Amino acid sequence: MLKLSDIKNNKYLVNFLYLIFFIFFVGTIAFPFIWQFLNSFKTQRDLFSVPPTFWPTEWTLENYIDAFTRQPFLLYIKNSFVIAILSTFLSITIGSLASYSISRTNIKFKKTYLLLLLSITLLPPITIVNPLYMLMRSLNLLNSYLGLAIVNTIFGLPLAVWFLSGFFDTIPKELEESALIDGATIFQAFYKIIVPLVIPGIFTVSILVFIAAWNQYLFAQILNPLRVRRTITVGITLYQTDYTIPWGTISAASIIVTVPLLILVLLLQRKIISGMLEGGVKG
Amino acid sequence: MGYLFIIPSLILIFALILYPVFNTLYLSFFNYRVQTMALGKTFVGLRNFIKIFNDETFFKSLKFTLLFTVVAVSMETIIGMIFANIMNRKLPGQGIIRTSVLIPWAIPTIISGLMWKFMYSQQYGIINHIFLKLQFIKEAIPWLSDSFVAVIAVIIADVWKTTPYMSLLILSGLQTIPIQLYEAAAIDGANRKDIFLKITLPLIKPVLSVAILFRVLATFRIYDLIAVLTSGGPANATQSLSLYTIKTYFDFGNIGYGAALATVTFIISLLISLLFLDSLKSKLE
Repeated sequence: MLKLSDIKNNKYLVNFLYLIFFIFFVGTIAFPFIWQFLNSFKTQRDLFSVPPTFWPTEWTLENYIDAFTRQPFLLYIKNSFVIAILSTFLSITIGSLASYSISRTNIKFKKTYLLLLLSITLLPPITIVNPLYMLMRSLNLLNSYLGLAIVNTIFGLPLAVWFLSGFFDTIPKELEESALIDGATIFQAFYKIIVPLVIPGIFTVSILVFIAAWNQYLFAQILNPLRVRRTITVGITLYQTDYTIPWGTISAASIIVTVPLLILVLLLQRKIISGMLEGGVKG
Repeated sequence: MGYLFIIPSLILIFALILYPVFNTLYLSFFNYRVQTMALGKTFVGLRNFIKIFNDETFFKSLKFTLLFTVVAVSMETIIGMIFANIMNRKLPGQGIIRTSVLIPWAIPTIISGLMWKFMYSQQYGIINHIFLKLQFIKEAIPWLSDSFVAVIAVIIADVWKTTPYMSLLILSGLQTIPIQLYEAAAIDGANRKDIFLKITLPLIKPVLSVAILFRVLATFRIYDLIAVLTSGGPANATQSLSLYTIKTYFDFGNIGYGAALATVTFIISLLISLLFLDSLKSKLE
């Protein structure tokens, strides 16, 4: 928004200010993560030295070993993974079916349906946490993969329908009309012709639902409290006791959980940003 | 046929959203405790709500939650606006900025809470160390054990986590503004403040108001960050409504009162949403 003349006159000053901003911005954002990364390789002595040492004086893998031995960390990773995959699969299946009928058929109450979906994103989870707990208990779905995955699915549904129905809108109607004329059923037209065309959209939604399910804490804590089905977000808070907080172990565990996520995000950032903007704001 | 496709999602919405909401509203009129579950529930009318209005812990939680929401979202919006304006320029290194923006967003809130908790440590924390080194402070700050400072600490950690996302949303709004508008304004001799107030702001208002609504509601229901960073302490100074409700339900086993607290949270969220009704309508078009 600078005027062109301003930029020419103050080119060096502007560049300098920008450089400062750049370092400050990237630094502030990345620092907690970098700090955690360095801490995960520090010995107890370095971690609790006063004043803190920036670089580890001696690099150790002790914390990473501790992370797996003090708690069944591998089991937590597996639980989180299975639940996140299941949530993604359910959101995509149920969401794409709903998006198809929103975008392609002339059913009534479309607006009411979209309003319902919108209200899910506006609803505080706290309002429904106890009935969901009692519901899952009566269905014998506490401490299960499916119970938590279904709850994640309902929260992923608005994004899935919003994003995918936009995608369905871009596909020409003639495609499936000709398939229907050729004698295909509406189901065949749906999964043979339409679904392959919306694969890119499905992919974007999948990443976002997966990350949201992976990061779920409130319902994971309430619905899956037992060790056998505990997820990573809950497990990682249990290294600390009333007396000690093993920061090295927690740092190592955080790094193990975060690094695959960050790699995923960095590789797929274009899709993620487009999905986030579509799901968050459609102004 | 179209109805068939929409039924699975409708079943989910009814079973997991509508039924639970009404169930919570219903239970808020009962005295119902885990400890005396065998005796069942007794109807007490509005007594739970009357109790809320005399509950100091509730008002403390409400006050903190509202203060936290207003301050955190304002800071996010202002900083997000500045970042978005810088990200909207053609400058070197934009790729790195946009990528780094996604780091706090992708890290689970629980883990970012743990990261900040160690950084805030009074004795071993890096933040006190840096501030002491730069002579910003004379002695170490008890970030998480002082009632006033703990509120600031929680706000900082939340702003760190959510501002980048906000700036991306605002950026998406800025990118829809045609550059010709700015050029025309510059030719007419408008200054930077005028350009911002009379061109940028009105044009990104729809995007901005929806973004603010979503952030307000998400911040208002804050749970994860506080659960791990302070557990609501010290002396309930950072206890959010969600945290208080969860404690009432699952630690104290008071289902009826918990339902009443959840109902109040629900009503406040509803009122906030109604304030933004116009921008919500645009989302449904």
